[in-house]
Amino acid sequence: MAQFFIDKSRRNDRIAEVLIRIGGVLVIVSVVWILVMISRVALPLFYPASARIAATFRLPAAISAGRVLAVGAEENQKGAFILDESGTFHFLKVADGSLSASIRVPSTPTGAARIVSAEYIGKSAYNLLWDTGAITSVTVALASVKDPDGTVSLTHEVTAQEELSFAASNGIVQSFARPIEGKGAVRIDRLAGDRLRINHQLIEKDLLGNEKRSDTGAEITDPLPGRISALAVDSKGHYLYLGTDTGWLQRWDISEPGQNRLLDSLPASEEHKAITSLTLVLGDVSIAVGDAGGRLTTWFPVKVAGSGDDRRLTRIHTLRSTIGPVSRIISSPRDKTLFTLDAGEIHVDHMTSERNLLTIKPAVPATHVALSPKGNTLSALDNNGGVTIWKMDIPHPEISFGTLFGKVWYEGYDRPEYAWQSSAANDDFEPKLSLVPLVFGTIKATLFAMLFAVPLALLAALYTSQFMSPKLKGRVKPVVEIMAAIPSVVIGFLAGLWLAPLIDKSVLTVFLSIVIVPLMLLFTIFFWKRIRTASLLQKVTRGHEFIAMIPVVILGIYCAFLLSGLAEIHLFAGDFKQWLFSTLGVRYDQRNSIIIAIALGFAVIPIIFTIAEDAISNVPRNLTAASLALGASRWQTAWRVVLPSALPGVFSAVMIGFGRAIGETMIVLMATGNTPIMSWSLFNGLRSLSANIAVEIPEAPLDGSLYRVLFLSAVLLFIFTFIINSGAEGLRQRFRKKYGRY
Amino acid sequence: MKIFWKTGEPYVLATGAALAIILVLSLTLVGTVMTNGLGYFWPRALVQFELKDGSRALGQITQQEKNPISGERRLQLKVGNRDVFGQDFRWIDEKEIVSRTTPVDAVLLERREHGNYFGMLQGVTAEGMSLSGGSPYEKLHQARSVVAGKLDDTRTIKKQMSSLNTTVEGLRLKLQKLEYRGKEKNSSEIIELTALREKTMAEFSLLNEKATATQTEIGRITAQFTDSAGGGKDISLLEIIALQRPNSMSFFAKCGAYLERVRELLLDDPRESNTEGGLFPAIFGTVMMVLLMSVFSLPFGVVAAIYLREYARDGLMTRMVRIAVNNLAGVPSIVYGVFGLGFFVYGIGGSIDSIFFPERLPTPTFGTGGILWSSLTLALLTVPVVIVATEESLASIPKGIREGSLALGATKFQTLTKILLPMATPGIMTGLILSMARAAGEVAPLMIVGVVKLAPTLPFDTIYPYFHMDRKFMHLGFHIYDVGFQSPNVEAAKPMVFVTTMLLLAIVIFASSAAIYLRNRMRGKYTTSTF
Repeated sequence: MAQFFIDKSRRNDRIAEVLIRIGGVLVIVSVVWILVMISRVALPLFYPASARIAATFRLPAAISAGRVLAVGAEENQKGAFILDESGTFHFLKVADGSLSASIRVPSTPTGAARIVSAEYIGKSAYNLLWDTGAITSVTVALASVKDPDGTVSLTHEVTAQEELSFAASNGIVQSFARPIEGKGAVRIDRLAGDRLRINHQLIEKDLLGNEKRSDTGAEITDPLPGRISALAVDSKGHYLYLGTDTGWLQRWDISEPGQNRLLDSLPASEEHKAITSLTLVLGDVSIAVGDAGGRLTTWFPVKVAGSGDDRRLTRIHTLRSTIGPVSRIISSPRDKTLFTLDAGEIHVDHMTSERNLLTIKPAVPATHVALSPKGNTLSALDNNGGVTIWKMDIPHPEISFGTLFGKVWYEGYDRPEYAWQSSAANDDFEPKLSLVPLVFGTIKATLFAMLFAVPLALLAALYTSQFMSPKLKGRVKPVVEIMAAIPSVVIGFLAGLWLAPLIDKSVLTVFLSIVIVPLMLLFTIFFWKRIRTASLLQKVTRGHEFIAMIPVVILGIYCAFLLSGLAEIHLFAGDFKQWLFSTLGVRYDQRNSIIIAIALGFAVIPIIFTIAEDAISNVPRNLTAASLALGASRWQTAWRVVLPSALPGVFSAVMIGFGRAIGETMIVLMATGNTPIMSWSLFNGLRSLSANIAVEIPEAPLDGSLYRVLFLSAVLLFIFTFIINSGAEGLRQRFRKKYGRY
Repeated sequence: MKIFWKTGEPYVLATGAALAIILVLSLTLVGTVMTNGLGYFWPRALVQFELKDGSRALGQITQQEKNPISGERRLQLKVGNRDVFGQDFRWIDEKEIVSRTTPVDAVLLERREHGNYFGMLQGVTAEGMSLSGGSPYEKLHQARSVVAGKLDDTRTIKKQMSSLNTTVEGLRLKLQKLEYRGKEKNSSEIIELTALREKTMAEFSLLNEKATATQTEIGRITAQFTDSAGGGKDISLLEIIALQRPNSMSFFAKCGAYLERVRELLLDDPRESNTEGGLFPAIFGTVMMVLLMSVFSLPFGVVAAIYLREYARDGLMTRMVRIAVNNLAGVPSIVYGVFGLGFFVYGIGGSIDSIFFPERLPTPTFGTGGILWSSLTLALLTVPVVIVATEESLASIPKGIREGSLALGATKFQTLTKILLPMATPGIMTGLILSMARAAGEVAPLMIVGVVKLAPTLPFDTIYPYFHMDRKFMHLGFHIYDVGFQSPNVEAAKPMVFVTTMLLLAIVIFASSAAIYLRNRMRGKYTTSTF
């Protein structure tokens, strides 16, 4: 029985030991696990792009490759189509290259026999230029459905767009047609001999519903700086971009019928290489320019200093230099990615991040390349009639180290800037995901808060540990510890909805308090002895001085408040904020950095105070006793003996407070306007990394770029606080070792 | 005097001043919350002003100040009647006022919608009801008690309806599951369940009709009021939640009204997008989340502390664990939220959904924020608090006690469970309470992993399986943020936020005071004084 009991005890003991050890290790595991998990989400931001060949097949013999005008494929890489000269769409099954259907374009213009060219205008629509000079527009719909038994069936449809059809015309080399929202359409023709003609076909309805058609044509008569080598028109038909074989780039305003204005005319490169390809990037703001030297650049109009509101076309991004001339540029329908085709290779680049994402080398140089409407499938046709279809995997093209931490020249901006703007109402928006303004905001908030908190907390800790009577200390310390437990949401709420309007009414009070409260204290200190002996304060003895200071502080703030009213009237013409704006040009936000300094400072004071107080109190009593015995005063002892010994502990207290302030979320979220601006002004708000996560993550789509960037900022916060905390802990352990107490 | 400066006495006073500033700041914070929070429920007098332009205004004075533009004194009046006047507050310059009175029969109505109504009672219209009272006020009282009785009936009906609703929902999910598993549409099981579902739904609509009928019947009972501008208003008794005549109330009646409001605050559901009514779901959600969190954090924290103090030898491993613990304590709470979202919600929750509830996808069950994920996230956040407190209390037990136990032949584990842990219990309790206080006040991570503005159901109820771990919940701290910063009418919502803040602050201060008291008592018990 006894043996059994002993065995059982031993067994339990061993089991418990193992379990407890596992528990200890689990703590480390969980810390590492947190870092690993959040990094794992953030990491795909930097994954390279890839393209996998989904299928290759040959065109059926019935279709000759030489007469093909366009190719295309659908999203699941199951179906493809070919448009040939005769105006027939051939739909093909990718698996075996077999013909699924052939559909002729409906409503062929009379007399037309052959299509000269087909321009893809987005959203599965093509503008077809017929040999008679007529233009029609068609939409192709191709989708694949996978049945439960695994067979793939294709659905296809070709529909004509009625609103875009232009009558026949002679001598046309190249032509563009664009609908004008609700008003008609515009057609831009390049005629033989490098002439350009712009035709507006407008329909106006009067009140009675009668339609009035007007047809205004105008030819560009100005001499061009070379022969036209590339043309592009934006989707609204407002701007015409023109490139010449002498390397000149021109931008024309063609939005007014009958009036064509030359806006820009400038050489695209120093070497005057011929411009071989022009394409508008998604959003119609930037134009991508490819030249014979293989250079790919993007341009958009920028305000030039000294020219008022005039905007001049400026080179913004230089994306790639390849060897062969750029023969075609395709812009992605989803983001600012550009696909360039040069002598046989397909290059993929992203405009904003200037990342060279991918280079695809087809076995046989491609003649026709197209992207699917969602931009995830690339199809190419070569001279031998071979079709290749790639499944593109470009996880986060807009993210690079440069866009996260560097200045980027975003569309519509006048210079490269750090900017954070994660979303906008329109789809073709360029996300601005620079972490710099957020890091700046975090540092600004932390610094201001520490400026407020550190002196107060350390001095108070010194007083509490060295000068305060022990009985009182036993009461004051718990009060401060309870302060540490005040939820940050409470502090943030009071700062945002109570303190901010209060300070808004009288900003000067804050500044005057900084001057007047110390002055009043100095005054009290100066006359301390006299005041004390002459009044009821006699009872205030050593160790209770701070009680006498409380009314002085309150009185000081009140005086500052009274004086601020006077000062505002006499010095600042009655309104300080107005004065601030008109004289210094500083805008005043109600939720500004002053509020943050006070609120965030208030939140970290108890933390710094408690740790610093512990450190100072832990300095062995015999040091103090020796110093006092040698005749030093209590201040001399505290300042020269105790504080230097406790310095590592005090320093670690400050560091831990710093770490807390960096990660504090609710206070910053509630007490600032959350505006991601970079200005050191006291009167402006800010946006910190942590508040940014809280603001944006509920709306960030799972596994999108924004979602991962937010995880990345969490990783940054983690690493930052990890370094600070580990440093503080190291200091504290050294301090403990020095005095051998815990 | 010279000695006074030389010995550095002024510096001592300066350090004392720093402490004074800190204390003034904290007192201001607590004082502001108390004055704004405590006063909100007190029935304030309804003051009627006659203005120089001949118009009248009736309301409660909320603040007085100097007009920043003209420099005249002015006062802010809460005029209520949002649906009539468009806004709750208005400023009145004092020089505009001709007379001020407090009409005895001015009525304050708390309504279900559009905030409070201030005005005079004119009469009561009650079809098919004989009201014996003389004055319109008595009549209204009578009518209200009748309506209250009928409302009780509808409440029982509504309860039945909601239980039927859950049955229907359960049946729907069962059907979905069967269909997902590939059962034929015409299999007996499905037909049976569909029939049952339809039957329950018919029952439901029958009850619904009954409830609607009673509602319309009560809705016909209305009372007529006139506001200060002279406009009349017909208000259905259904709309009226409470009715007061603050100007004719005695002090004790006011106390009674105050207590009634406190009861409502603690036990009722919120109204008007949380800016009125009670906080019960938020209190319940907070408490349940905190308790659930303790279930996870306490064992883990205690075991880790025991490892550090009793089992680990001083070495690299212990140092690393200590650094890990300190970092767990120092990592920003929002990072925990992000981790909880990525790991618990989308990681584990997503897997649970795809394994156990594939038929409900893409509607997530566990793959979205909920109380389980919230408490797990907060458990991770508060574990260091438990570890540090437990370790400290184990460290304060004199070595002699351990050695005595081991010398008597007890194993390490026996020493631990029979001697050390009982002695360390106050310390562990301290850690637990501190961690609970921290969790009750933490908002940032919860915003990401499961707290909502308004949860239709509590995470615990009488419907099987009682604890609904996948449900979202309400939280006091988030309530403050949401009502204070995201409600459309912040000015009108402010008092409510102050009350919530006061409640949260009271809970947290009470909990941490208790923890600190426990800790200090324990320290006195075991630590052998060194000096």
